[in-house]
Amino acid sequence: MIAFDQVCKRYPSGHEALSELSFELAAGEMAFVTGHSGAGKSTLLKLVALLERPSRGQITVGGQNLNRTQRRGIPGVRRGIGMVFQEHRLLLDRSVFDNVALPLVIAGVARDEIGKRVRAALDKVGLLAREQAQPAVLSTGEQQRIGIARAIVTKPPLLIADEPTGNLDPQLSAEIMALFGQFQQVGTTVLIASHDLALIKRMGKRVLVLDHGKLIDDFRPQASA
Amino acid sequence: MNRRKPQNRLKPVATTSAAAVTPTRANPGLRSWREQHLFSFFSSLGRLAARPWATALTLAVLSVALALPLLFWLLLDNTRGLNSGVEDARAISVFLKPDLKADAVQALAQRLRARADVAAVELKSPEQGLEEFRSQSGFADALKVLHYNPLPAVLIVSPRADTPDTAPALVAELQHEPAVDLVQYDALWRQRLSAILASAQRAAAVLAGLLALAALLVVGNTVRLDIQGRSDEIAVMQLLGANDGFVRRPFLYTGFWYGAFAGVLTLMLVGIVEWILSAPLAQLAASYDHRFGVHGLSLPGMGMVLGASSVLGWLGAWIAASRHIALGQPQ
Ligand SMILES: Nc1ncnc2c1ncn2[C@@H]1O[C@H](COP(=O)(O)OP(=O)(O)O)[C@@H](O)[C@H]1O
Ligand SMILES: [Mg+2]
Repeated sequence: MIAFDQVCKRYPSGHEALSELSFELAAGEMAFVTGHSGAGKSTLLKLVALLERPSRGQITVGGQNLNRTQRRGIPGVRRGIGMVFQEHRLLLDRSVFDNVALPLVIAGVARDEIGKRVRAALDKVGLLAREQAQPAVLSTGEQQRIGIARAIVTKPPLLIADEPTGNLDPQLSAEIMALFGQFQQVGTTVLIASHDLALIKRMGKRVLVLDHGKLIDDFRPQASA
Repeated sequence: MNRRKPQNRLKPVATTSAAAVTPTRANPGLRSWREQHLFSFFSSLGRLAARPWATALTLAVLSVALALPLLFWLLLDNTRGLNSGVEDARAISVFLKPDLKADAVQALAQRLRARADVAAVELKSPEQGLEEFRSQSGFADALKVLHYNPLPAVLIVSPRADTPDTAPALVAELQHEPAVDLVQYDALWRQRLSAILASAQRAAAVLAGLLALAALLVVGNTVRLDIQGRSDEIAVMQLLGANDGFVRRPFLYTGFWYGAFAGVLTLMLVGIVEWILSAPLAQLAASYDHRFGVHGLSLPGMGMVLGASSVLGWLGAWIAASRHIALGQPQ
């Protein structure tokens, strides 16, 4: 689903955030990217979602070579990726329903179809009852789950999340991670950046470890605890 | 209703590659496109109404910018009648010395008629002149207080049409006639008038262009502020895969509304000015023997103003929005 080949990312400031990064993630696989703050985790995810362009190297997502994707093609690539952020990035002047519906509106889904899909997504994250609430009145954990509902409402083949549990307490974090695990079980490829090593290890999924932009480890911990 | 059977696509069913949403209805793409346009159409209107003062101020600036060249142009359009209303402009009016005897006048007229470069000479006695003046100038009452006729005899000399270049020479010679007091050659001031009108029209076009540009900038800047206020929203929409058209659309409608409302306001403004000026202008026209008619903006003209201002608003928004969108994306 994702293939990085000798990818370097140098920001205009001259800082090299990723160097010589190569890895592959199979369709339906779930993996974590971890490493110290500034290791390049967010940069990696940004390259996948075409929020940034690599300075060198090839990136393929879902069989599409991103290096050859023109500016016009970027929205199409992003519509195929569900994105979850540390700050939920919900629109605070719109209801939960409207927030979750936004990707469907963007994708041009007919209105009567939208209602059904939004409710199904909210049901999946356990927040069907909050459909008409304003995001601002929800708890942090609920906001994050609305963000996840928005990411999966179009059923994208790939789900990426940047520190999705960064603002949550351990128990909520575990719940959110379990939710991501469920999406993998129905066939979605999942890539999550997180520095919460303890939590990651408990998930028992593949882990990519970055250090100063270099891939220094790629392992699968034995599920424990 | 041709509803499809409900299906819950999000429940955990074993689909390996859950393809991104594809429209499945007969023509859902077109339908949702129409829905989105309708939504933007009305929601942008709602946004304007949510800030009535800011909107009113913008509209006021826009309509003044649009009304100024429009009024100027209307003024010029009305004076065009004045220009073409002067008949027989090639005629030379020769005002004779007031104390000249009638037979001397006749003799001069005869002499002039004999010239090769003169086609015709018409004689207007002081009495005829007074009568004409009384009926045309609107000064009839003022003339009543006069005890004598102050007007001289006038010869209307028409130069030969096929020798246009001799007219100035003829005018010069006439000026040297001892019996002649004053020679007035209409073609000369007519040329000047049309030159003045032409440059005024050119100036109006330039002014209209500049003020249209100002209107464009006002809309562009207003929409730019609007965009800045909603840049988070735009960023999120771009993250979710919205293309440029989708992001731009609500702002285009905002610009359209600004333009359309400013157009209506402009027409009202022009209407008010027309109303204020209508009475004095009608008097003026009457005093000019109705050689020019006073007219306001025609119905097609109004439609054109509305259309042009809407397009301007749309265009200003397009420029502002496109700039912002381009900044937010990697190449
Ligand atoms: N837009 C940017 N411009 C310049 N440097 C950046 C930018 N984004 C990130 N960096 C730098 O790149 C490095 C990696 O950043 P990031 O990918 O955000 O790391 P992480 O998410 O692992 O904390 C950091 O040193 C950071 O300062
Ligand atoms: Mg980060």
